Amino acid sequence: MSNQYNEEELDDVVDLKSGVIGRLFKSLKPYWLLILISVLGIALVSFLDAYYTVLSKRIIDEGIVAKNLPVMISLFRSYILVILAQVAGFFIMIYIIGLLGEQLRYDFRKKLFHRLQTLSLSYFSKTPLGWIMSRVTSDTEKMADLLTWGVLDTVWAVTNICFAVYFMLKLSPRLTMIVAVSLVVMIFVSFKFRVKIYHHYRLSRRANSKMTASLNENITGVRVVKALRREAQNLLDFKILSTDMYQESYRAVFLSAIYLPTIQTISAISLVLILWRGGLQVAGGAISVGVLQAFVSYIMMILWPIQDLARVYAEMQNAVASSERVFSLLDMQPEIRNRENLLPVDSLVGDVEFENVSFHYEDDEPVIKNLSFHIPQGKNVALVGTTGGGKTTIVNLLCRFYEPSQGVIRIAGHDYTRYSLEDIQSRIGVVLQVPHLFSGSVRDNLRYGRLNATDEQIEHAAKLAGAHEFIMGLEKAYDQDVGEGGNLLSVGQKQLISIARALLAEPDIFIMDEATSSVDTLTEALIQKGMHNLMSGRTSFIIAHRLSTIKSADIIMVIDDGQIIEQGNHESLMRKKGHYYNLYTKQFRQDLESKYDPFADKESEALAA
Amino acid sequence: MNETKGPYIPLDMPEVLGSKNKLLSLWHLMRGYHFHYLVSTIFLSLAAFARTGMYIYLGNFIDRMMVGKLVGQELTLGALTFGALIALQALSSFMSSWMANFTAENSTRRLRDHLFDHIQRLSYSYHSESKTGDLLDRATSDVDTLRRFFADQAIGVGRIVMIFIISFIAIARINLRLALVSIIIFPIVLVISLIFFKRLSKAYEAYQAQGAILSTDLQENLSGVRVVKAFARQEYEIEKFDKENREKLRLGKKFNWMHALFWPLSDIICSAQSVGSNFYAAMMVLNGGITLGDFISFHGLLGWLIWPIRNLGRLIIDTSRALVSYGRIAVVLQAPEEDMTGCTYQPEEGIRGQICFDKVSFAYEKDQLVLDDVSFSCQAGMVVALLGSTGSGKTSLVNLLPRFYDVTSGQILLDGVNLNAYSRDFLRSQIGVVEQEPFLFSCSIRDNITYGVHREVSQEEIENAAREAAIHDVILSFKNGYDTLVGERGVTLSGGQKQRLAIARTLLINPRILILDDSTSSVDMETEVQIRAALESLMTDRTTFIIAHRIQSIMNADLILVFDKGKIVQMGGHEELLSQPGIYKDIYDIQARIDSALKEEIDRVESI
Repeated sequence: MSNQYNEEELDDVVDLKSGVIGRLFKSLKPYWLLILISVLGIALVSFLDAYYTVLSKRIIDEGIVAKNLPVMISLFRSYILVILAQVAGFFIMIYIIGLLGEQLRYDFRKKLFHRLQTLSLSYFSKTPLGWIMSRVTSDTEKMADLLTWGVLDTVWAVTNICFAVYFMLKLSPRLTMIVAVSLVVMIFVSFKFRVKIYHHYRLSRRANSKMTASLNENITGVRVVKALRREAQNLLDFKILSTDMYQESYRAVFLSAIYLPTIQTISAISLVLILWRGGLQVAGGAISVGVLQAFVSYIMMILWPIQDLARVYAEMQNAVASSERVFSLLDMQPEIRNRENLLPVDSLVGDVEFENVSFHYEDDEPVIKNLSFHIPQGKNVALVGTTGGGKTTIVNLLCRFYEPSQGVIRIAGHDYTRYSLEDIQSRIGVVLQVPHLFSGSVRDNLRYGRLNATDEQIEHAAKLAGAHEFIMGLEKAYDQDVGEGGNLLSVGQKQLISIARALLAEPDIFIMDEATSSVDTLTEALIQKGMHNLMSGRTSFIIAHRLSTIKSADIIMVIDDGQIIEQGNHESLMRKKGHYYNLYTKQFRQDLESKYDPFADKESEALAA
Repeated sequence: MNETKGPYIPLDMPEVLGSKNKLLSLWHLMRGYHFHYLVSTIFLSLAAFARTGMYIYLGNFIDRMMVGKLVGQELTLGALTFGALIALQALSSFMSSWMANFTAENSTRRLRDHLFDHIQRLSYSYHSESKTGDLLDRATSDVDTLRRFFADQAIGVGRIVMIFIISFIAIARINLRLALVSIIIFPIVLVISLIFFKRLSKAYEAYQAQGAILSTDLQENLSGVRVVKAFARQEYEIEKFDKENREKLRLGKKFNWMHALFWPLSDIICSAQSVGSNFYAAMMVLNGGITLGDFISFHGLLGWLIWPIRNLGRLIIDTSRALVSYGRIAVVLQAPEEDMTGCTYQPEEGIRGQICFDKVSFAYEKDQLVLDDVSFSCQAGMVVALLGSTGSGKTSLVNLLPRFYDVTSGQILLDGVNLNAYSRDFLRSQIGVVEQEPFLFSCSIRDNITYGVHREVSQEEIENAAREAAIHDVILSFKNGYDTLVGERGVTLSGGQKQRLAIARTLLINPRILILDDSTSSVDMETEVQIRAALESLMTDRTTFIIAHRIQSIMNADLILVFDKGKIVQMGGHEELLSQPGIYKDIYDIQARIDSALKEEIDRVESI
């Protein structure tokens, strides 16, 4: 797998491209009013934060030092008002921003899911599932965080610093100069620190995921570990990973521990200067004690907005990288798309025809080579041949999961690219080799075939498919939960359900990939019955492994190396004594061996009899 | 330094697990770092002192300035003292947080290593009964909760208490009544924050749980993408996802609402206290109770008295979470490890491989015998074939040999000595296992072949083993040859290929006893012949137990054991078993029946 899909992308030194950032901020457009309110709210809060100090100064100078009780009381009254206003602003801001964050997460996830539903199978076969999952789960979080708390913290920090500087300038321009110099130094140091801390933090995240993967593997493969006595060596290997994790994590926390005291020391230096210079001025009567106290307060307060600003800056790199990945997924165009001027169609009843069809995945060698055949409506086709010969690809092409690289596929007389994807896929019923069920009840899974089916129709389909009996045997019958991916059921049971599901959809063309894994005899008989019901009267293509399926087919195609090497019915092909003959006799032996196996599940045999 | 134990003092597990109190257990987990923790606490107090001193000095500074005493050098000195106090405070808080994090990171790393080792040394039965995801969760996210506890909460309690006490004393020294007035809200804020944080963490857990549901949904949709497309159910899926997505939005809004409510609410209460105390103090200045400098000291100190209380609730909730996590980890830690090196019998000349089962019974759970009174014996170098249906006891029998499990009753003798006298470690070094579809690790093919070969192996030796196992050519067909990675980031190998890699590995290990799961389902004829040859060269000169699925591998066996429901129903050589009626003869006769059936079918076709 290429590095493109490495979980913790690290070296994404994003030159904060205006394109991505611009697009990111465009997601805020529908919520501009909320944004405006919260930005105003935050500006108010941060103004009041800075104003406190002015009030305290006035309380000291005009109230306490001047010994003026009425003024002091009225000042305290405004103090209370300021607090109330600030708390109200604070509440509105947290509430709105939090709300907006959730809404944005929801929007991003929804959009991504939408896009994923339209993408072609080829996309999913070359993209690891975990990679897609991270885009939808963690990247959307990071984007929303940047757009909400990131913006909020930035606005707060910038306005807070501005207001503080403004008030300081009003109190004493000369002392402000001292603060301004240390402010610049602190901002510079903060940004340097934060970026470094964040870098190590991400390295530790990456080390952590490696460590978890190793642990996971060791638990899954614990039997091998024990049999081969690898415990000691494995512990040494693990220690290398845990040491990595330790070192990165330790570096991050060490830098964090040193960071705050460092900027505190810088502020201490400027404080000394202010007390000294300011003290001289107070003594000289140029400024009041309150002013001095106000400067002390400001310089100690200003640490917080600087820290916030630096943090947002460090995390922004990562959030922008997240956005870039998310946007690239959103921009992904499905390879298989509806064409223009679609042919409206009610049914796909008709002949199926391949004309000089060739196909290759990605840039590989051709998998299907100049394939042509014509299947009249209603015939049953069995595809046989060795693994990797191209049978599955033919089925994928028929379902239009992929389209031919060359040549034409015609259904009911027209090039099938003239139909819409929805029309084709809803008129073709597919039963996969390893059937996939969704978590939920048996009934939910059957209804997947036709969403508006009544319970009676569902049971009818289940009966036709031969699934009804075993379903009734389940504890909760049709309401039984099938587990994640249907894992609470056996493969045979899953296949019965997927046949019933396909029957319910009443497709015009039926496609099935028979299971190779052994299914007990009873279930096997039921599956055959269900298949028979599905195939009757419908054009069907079966990737066949069972002799009975192959023998009863109207047309047998032996596929090898992307081509048809033999075609005909069972008898004619047997007489030829060619590829089919060899395949058949081998299969025949295997079937009978398993049939006569004295160790086979006797219980189900008894039931089948 | 002991290499396998790592660069740290080992944990004293009996001490950790033996503690009655979970907090005490956590304390023992910090073993070796108690000193660092103590230093951290001392510096923390020092930082609090320095900060308090700073405010008091500021008040003093201003008082002296007001009466005009502070001029010239004295002013410079005063400013410098003030700066020194800040610097001291900065340095102390750095030391404190450095030491706390040092303790946390080291304790956690040691716990991680210990857990990793412990998990891989847990018994076979423990692993069969537990879920991978659950174990993984305990070893990762629960451990991380403990790391945060060591770094934040363990030191955080000290921090809040110290800051509170020192600030309180400092204010009380200015004026006791003022100090008492200033902590009126203490119980109220504590109670409110406890209630809120409890609810907040509940709401947050619900939100997280919904996130997990959403992820599962997404994963199912993505892995079932063929079905979705086959039924053209995109719209339906979008709606389904949207339903859960909306639920997450709803829970997120709920969490957000509580969040937005708590902070302003506690702000109002704390601010009320702040305004009230400040007013009270200001009045005292006017009445001459305290000086202006006192007021300014108090003004600065008050914040440090009030605001930490707000976080006390969160601290308590987080600590209780850490205790829950520790409980989950302790359950794993308490499970006994396999004794690998006890029972030290270890013949110097190695073992020969003569095995005798004497009335062996075995049950995973009480009263459910999987092996029932099994007796047989075989000479060194013999091939023993085990036949029987799934669940008849074949696998359980071979699992007893490397002592993955121990017999319930009866005994197994290896070279005439009870198996339980051998250490597990020694036994496993003498027994090779080749499974039907062996588990491979996500490292290179070379590393997989040498996995568990406890010596240096040359490339030539590896290639020879691979040739003998009929996998060399397959390996060379990959772009990176022996360096090709196996698994998600590399090549996917078929079951047969994996088996042959395991055969190559076992050839290098060269064990005296071999356990083979002989199933070559879903491989083509040519490969089957190759695997057969590879297996045969592997079996030479070794006592071999084959879990047999086909007649070919049985025919050459020296001893055939036919199992049914945990009992041996037939036993003997091929000829012997063939001469008596029973399951074995039935199986053998099948071949003849198949041949005649096939001929019948061909004749039928020909006649049409």
